[in-house]
Amino acid sequence: MTANEKAPVIIAVCGKGGVGKTSISALLTRMLLKDSTKRILAIDADPAIGLSYPLGVPVHKTVDEIRNDFIADVEKGMTGSKEELIRRLDYEMLDAMTETENLAFLAIGRPEGDGCYCQVNSLLRDIIKAIARNFDIVVIDGEAGVEQIDRRVMDMVTHLFLVSDASARGRNVAATIDRVAQNKPGLKKTGIFFNRLQGAEEMDALTAQAPLSIIGWMAENALIRELDRDGKPFPDVGDGRIPFPEEAVYRFLKQ
Amino acid sequence: MQLFNTIISDTRQLIADWSDQQAGGPLPVRKFEAADHVHWPAAGNRDIVFQSDTGVELGNPKDKSVAFLAWTDDAGQVHDNRITLVGPDIGEIAESSVPFGKVVLIHGSGFTEDNCYERFREMDLCRFDVSLKGYMMRAVSQYMREWSRISREAVKNGLNFEVLGSAMLRKLKEYDYIKAAEIIFVTASPDHVRQLGPMADRFMQYINAMTKMHQEMDFDCDSCEYQNVCDEAEELRSMREKLMDKKESSE
Repeated sequence: MTANEKAPVIIAVCGKGGVGKTSISALLTRMLLKDSTKRILAIDADPAIGLSYPLGVPVHKTVDEIRNDFIADVEKGMTGSKEELIRRLDYEMLDAMTETENLAFLAIGRPEGDGCYCQVNSLLRDIIKAIARNFDIVVIDGEAGVEQIDRRVMDMVTHLFLVSDASARGRNVAATIDRVAQNKPGLKKTGIFFNRLQGAEEMDALTAQAPLSIIGWMAENALIRELDRDGKPFPDVGDGRIPFPEEAVYRFLKQ
Repeated sequence: MQLFNTIISDTRQLIADWSDQQAGGPLPVRKFEAADHVHWPAAGNRDIVFQSDTGVELGNPKDKSVAFLAWTDDAGQVHDNRITLVGPDIGEIAESSVPFGKVVLIHGSGFTEDNCYERFREMDLCRFDVSLKGYMMRAVSQYMREWSRISREAVKNGLNFEVLGSAMLRKLKEYDYIKAAEIIFVTASPDHVRQLGPMADRFMQYINAMTKMHQEMDFDCDSCEYQNVCDEAEELRSMREKLMDKKESSE
């Protein structure tokens, strides 16, 4: 690996359902896209495929659809060697990846289930890891809860970006995810980001009780609510309409 | 083994027809000799050529693409080291994306019913070992599709089908059972690529029949969808009989 081919920073945005992970993932991605020399891969691991809207990228195929087509073909008797299967999945994954200037976007769709197709799931995870190596930064918008932390794709995460609202439940889920993630070999940093707060006073109160290192916070934002409701893309970070604490987030990523 | 001889001669006839039609036309059929050494840097660990860096795309999934590899033990069927190009070269392609056809013809020795299936897999997969800076290739053997991207920088620096073909032929020649190899690239039009389809389809039927014999060990010919293919190809019948004998002696 050469100097300009260093391992990517891989950020997983996780937390309780409904705390605004997708909005924060979109703002984080938009902030990172400002550096046009950096290649960013955004992975939407939420089954609802919500991240495509605030990023304004179309989705024409999900990883789940690739898996289903593949399984249907195998069931019809269309088989091949393991190497051929990997090559086919790799082709389809690249085709499923939406690309804009320095952003690529991959939607996972329905999470992998149990059953007899664990080899396909395992191949898909390996291909996602291989694709990720081509980027400088990967942002994963995680599904709600702690389940995916146990999945192998999370082994590659370097930064765990936990999102919570002010609720005790939100903070507890974040703390649980942090505990489960501590055995992940590649993990370098974990922090909590508070979203939808009433203001600085609420943040001060939470700081006293926060079980984790605090990345930053954002207040409830009417524009995000409106854009979310209409399924419209977010504006560029920096235009001021959605105040995102860029410096604090960069500090978390760089430390 | 002469299983694919008709496919090879049909492909040759098609190229000859195109050569006649295109003589003096805007898209000549060109022939190159593969270079002994490929002077092009290898790709690094980052093997994706991004859309925003792409100069030319060949056989994008939205476009037509056909790619297959056929072999024979008849030395007269293969022009060793020949690269044939039907259509514009990489640096001459005006569009950002064009349909793509690729046919690899191999003359090999020692191909038998016992080893040809494994050898085919080896030869087919060796295209993934071609590593050229600014060149990315993805392929699905089962669909005979091949999709490549060539970066703007590589186009500017002169990556062309002579380099690409030479690199592919050099890689194939690493197998000592390959005595001669040639490659045909088609970029002329969707219709030209489509005309390779009948040969590719026949080729794939033979390969699918072999795959079924080797992987499923299902010898109930009455219920097999490849029965017609096996019946018309003596070498497939012979392969099936050998595998049946093997199965019976192991039971």
